[in-house]
Amino acid sequence: MTIQELVEGRIDFKGQKTADDIVRVVLITSTFLSFVIGFAFSSLMITMSTFALCTVALSLVVLPPWPMFNRHPVTWLSESVQEQK
Amino acid sequence: MHSIYARANGISGLWSTCVMVLLGAVALSSFLFNADSKGSLDIVSLKVFHSKTRRYPFRNEEIGFVKFNLSADLTPLFNWNTKQLFVYLEAEYTNAQGVNNTVVIWDRIVRRKDDATIDIVQKEKYKLRDLSGSFSNVHPAQYSLKYSVMPYVGVLTYGEAARTTEAIDFPDARDSVS
Repeated sequence: MTIQELVEGRIDFKGQKTADDIVRVVLITSTFLSFVIGFAFSSLMITMSTFALCTVALSLVVLPPWPMFNRHPVTWLSESVQEQK
Repeated sequence: MHSIYARANGISGLWSTCVMVLLGAVALSSFLFNADSKGSLDIVSLKVFHSKTRRYPFRNEEIGFVKFNLSADLTPLFNWNTKQLFVYLEAEYTNAQGVNNTVVIWDRIVRRKDDATIDIVQKEKYKLRDLSGSFSNVHPAQYSLKYSVMPYVGVLTYGEAARTTEAIDFPDARDSVS
């Protein structure tokens, strides 16, 4: 891969939708979870560190262009259809 | 969401909202803890001496020296959202014109629950003086221990933990023994 492809990290459209869904679900559940766990242990440190850990884990899953986000590449039309115009 | 930058940008929007909601929930949770703490405060001795003002060494004023016996248990005030307690001892009196005065004569910052019990016999930390420079026309003073609960996130709350049972009169000023 070129450096530009590495930095860009392109994923296909279905992968983008999957990534978006993962982000939404993980962020909302981690907010709820870190509040509840911190309240149960009565420590604000635990709240903030679980939330930070969830954020780091989420970034590792969603930010790099993993192969699972590239399972449905765009099917472009073949060149012969263009030439008929 | 097509590139790493776009995904990071998209995450940061919902992430900042989630952080604010989380901190708001922590701030609101402080209202669930309604602790009140009580203690006892006695004045062991109160003396008033003639002295010079600090700023103008040619001017005379009267300074009060208080020794107090204070015991208070402030541990109920510590919950998960308490960062520190600011505890202070105040002298409250009305002067001859009928104006209420409060003078802070001692304070302490309590950062941990283990340090939250106070059991001391001590003298004042800050000068007990009246703005007019004299205690001769002043009504008897009540002494009270007040606290401020400073949270990590949220509203500052305050209360009173101890109070002297009766007002104590200021004695006549005398010259200090040198």
